[in-house]
Amino acid sequence: MESEIRQFLFDSLTVMKYSTADMDDDTVLGPAGADLESLALAELSLRVEDHYGVRFDEDEAERFAAMTVGEFCAEVARRAQTATAT
Amino acid sequence: MSASAAVTGIGLVSPVGTAVEEVFGAVCAGRSAVVRPPEDHPLHGVLDAAAIGPVIDPESVLPPKEARVVDRSIVMAVRAADDALADAGIEIGRDVDPYRVAVVLSGVGGLATLAEQAVERSRRGRLGVSPLLLPGVLPNMAAARVAIKFGIRGYTSSSGTACAAGGQSIGEAMRILRSGEADVVVCGCTEAPLFPTFADAFGNALALARGWPDPTTASRPFDRRRNGFVLGEGAGVLVLERPEFARARGAAVHADVLGWGATSDAHHPTTPRPDGSSAAESMRIALRDAGLSTGDIDYLNAHGTGTKAGDSAESAAIRSVYGDAMPPVSSTKGVTGHMLGASGVVEAAIGIVAMRKGLLPPTHNLDDPDPACDLNHVRGEALAARVDAVMSNSFGFGGHNVSVIFGSADG
Repeated sequence: MESEIRQFLFDSLTVMKYSTADMDDDTVLGPAGADLESLALAELSLRVEDHYGVRFDEDEAERFAAMTVGEFCAEVARRAQTATAT
Repeated sequence: MSASAAVTGIGLVSPVGTAVEEVFGAVCAGRSAVVRPPEDHPLHGVLDAAAIGPVIDPESVLPPKEARVVDRSIVMAVRAADDALADAGIEIGRDVDPYRVAVVLSGVGGLATLAEQAVERSRRGRLGVSPLLLPGVLPNMAAARVAIKFGIRGYTSSSGTACAAGGQSIGEAMRILRSGEADVVVCGCTEAPLFPTFADAFGNALALARGWPDPTTASRPFDRRRNGFVLGEGAGVLVLERPEFARARGAAVHADVLGWGATSDAHHPTTPRPDGSSAAESMRIALRDAGLSTGDIDYLNAHGTGTKAGDSAESAAIRSVYGDAMPPVSSTKGVTGHMLGASGVVEAAIGIVAMRKGLLPPTHNLDDPDPACDLNHVRGEALAARVDAVMSNSFGFGGHNVSVIFGSADG
């Protein structure tokens, strides 16, 4: 599932006009890597919520800035499975 | 009379073009921009006539990441500011301290994008609303985006005085320069009202021209058969500088801003005071502010939208100020349509070029002047005349009246 989430993430970032050419699982989402600023992280969160039916708390989007692509995909997968199970 | 501000840059986005000379040529020649909205336009089937501006790719004026959810009003404003600052030949930081530059850019904001997002909210709930919505639509965001793009760090504001907002922005810019709070002000207005909800709001209020098989005949200020205005879109930005500052840096000056006046009708939310007394007072205040008398004004660019009540009230106001010694008067909205607040800036630019060229644009479609609009009309052909001072009127819903006076840079 994580590879599918990774593809969704990259597709979303492309729509949001971010280049994904140099991104991999170790790329940090925030300023230290992909350079998603606060509104971009908020938009990414919304896209994931909409697509996978998960829910993030209001302060979580900012914490995504420190996550890598791999960590983010794992987190989304964990939540999506939880959401499905419940 | 002495200059309070020097106009050193002009940038326009209008239904008749983006180049200042192109816009002036169109209003002089009567090349109407009013069309029946085509099939691919949101107003197709909604309005019989509209004045549609040029397509501008948001990514041509803003970084791609910022250009995705941004209203057309902001895009047009940034484009006009690009052109105005290029025309002024000024680089913020190199030629002027960024804290000594102000931005006063007005307009109603990105209502079309807000309306689209309201539909998405109804359809998809919370997840349908973009987090980029507010920076894409708030009425201050045109000013903010221009400040961000050019690194302008002084005073920034926007006026919400509807169709008077463009004139008001120029007046406020002049006031800032007079006070010494800035050396340069980027001022103007932008409006993108061409979407169904806004169009229907004006239409249902019976403010829009209707029933004209040929859309180019629909906008007819001061004409006996006029029955409303033609909704248009556009943006106008001027770069104003303290005259001494402009001189010191060797800037080319298009014209001087000499004075302005602003009053309120205190009468009705949409209908102008019928006797035009408050509008007249805004013109008198502008004359006093400029140190001029009525005989000094060589051309008056009227607000003249083409509504029955508005044109009659403005005519009464002009007549009460000028009497029989009235300068030539025209409204250029017969060609451009009514770009709401942006009209005031586009029309200021037209007045400035009229001074430079010694040519007054006529009121298009003024075939049969209404006796209730007894003015010294310029109609038919453009009129050659020596022009040293121009008055430009802008009036808005809410009863806001603004008059601005420009003088020849050579005068």
